Amino acid sequence: MATNEKDKQKNSNKPKKRIKILISGPFAAGKTQFIKTISEIEPLTTEKQTTAGKEKSVKSHTTVAMDFGKITIDDEHELYLFGTPGQSRFDFMWDILGKGALGIIILVDSTNPETFHEARQIINYFESRYPVPMVIGANKQDLPNAWPPEMIKAALNLDTEDIPVVPVVATDKESVKKALLTLLEQIYKEFG
Amino acid sequence: MGLSGNLKNFPFPDILQVIAKEKKNGILLVEWKDLIVAYYIKNGHIIFARPVDKITRIYTERNFPEILKKLRVKPENIPKILEKYLLQRLGAREGIFSLIFGFVRYKSDEPITIPIEQVILEASRQLTPMEVRRKISDEMLTFTFTEDAKEKLKNLKLTPVEQKVVELIDGKRTVADIRKALFPTPEIDVDRALYGLWSAGIIKRVRRGKRHKPEGLSLDLLKRIIEKVKDL
Repeated sequence: MATNEKDKQKNSNKPKKRIKILISGPFAAGKTQFIKTISEIEPLTTEKQTTAGKEKSVKSHTTVAMDFGKITIDDEHELYLFGTPGQSRFDFMWDILGKGALGIIILVDSTNPETFHEARQIINYFESRYPVPMVIGANKQDLPNAWPPEMIKAALNLDTEDIPVVPVVATDKESVKKALLTLLEQIYKEFG
Repeated sequence: MGLSGNLKNFPFPDILQVIAKEKKNGILLVEWKDLIVAYYIKNGHIIFARPVDKITRIYTERNFPEILKKLRVKPENIPKILEKYLLQRLGAREGIFSLIFGFVRYKSDEPITIPIEQVILEASRQLTPMEVRRKISDEMLTFTFTEDAKEKLKNLKLTPVEQKVVELIDGKRTVADIRKALFPTPEIDVDRALYGLWSAGIIKRVRRGKRHKPEGLSLDLLKRIIEKVKDL
């Protein structure tokens, strides 16, 4: 066996180093879809039927522990995308998933200003405990009543903070890539 | 482009905050069960309020001086009108709002009777504890002044609690520190003051401490991740 082949086999047997990015945001912001759109594997999800009246009217299933997607970087590294549950009653999971994250994308439903506050709470939570680079993804920008990203920035008091707000359509791969790249560029800017 | 929402879940200080930050002309229309009011916005300040019977009227009458003439409103009566249809309704919920920028034509000399920052503070004083907690959600939040805070504060009437909170803002004290320093002032009053000052763009959040580079993350690896995502 050629040396290169041997090296390849050796590398493939070695456990890969995991790089973690969190996809967070309020209930029904599109986190599961975001991961599904970009992950190279069918995402592992922990969805359960929604039970609360208001939530039930929005969608039938919701994430209760986490979603998980993966992108292989090279023979040694994998990028893991962890989706957190949206409802604040599961915020203990934010703590578990936040540790060691490289950065966070917080998705908001641009058509539902009622959830912007939940996004602000998530920003406050992570900034106080796991201060890593963040990007806000203003999801559902393809819908007619979506608030534009600059208004969401104003509503979230982000005009004085270095947290970009980018337009997102979670079903569109290019859009998801753009949001992810914005976060990676933020990380590069921060640590470069 | 119009923005819409419900005051029950997106209360007055928040929509006023968007108006203040955008600094544009336009109309905020609020439909309550008992009344529909159109608020006229000039450069990010609400300068007039008008109850309306038909919403379409708002969109067909675009010339502001003409509107005042038609309604026979004298400039000296505008503060009373704003008191009745704006300040007295800041605590009212169950209203649907829509905000549309542009299309209203103003003269250049319409006065600003109440600065938008003052309206935001007044609205924040009427928030419920649950509403306040949505924004002042973490006692580790830390604030400093914005660049134009001094200029804004000159024109505002603060409550004694708001005044004390302003004196304690230094970029280091957390929400918990400020609450503690102002004890026995009820926490909710301190938090309302912080909410209002933050929404009015007088204070801003500061990041606590430096972000640490994750272990094992090299710039070369970061470049490879970026290239990989680009190629997906």
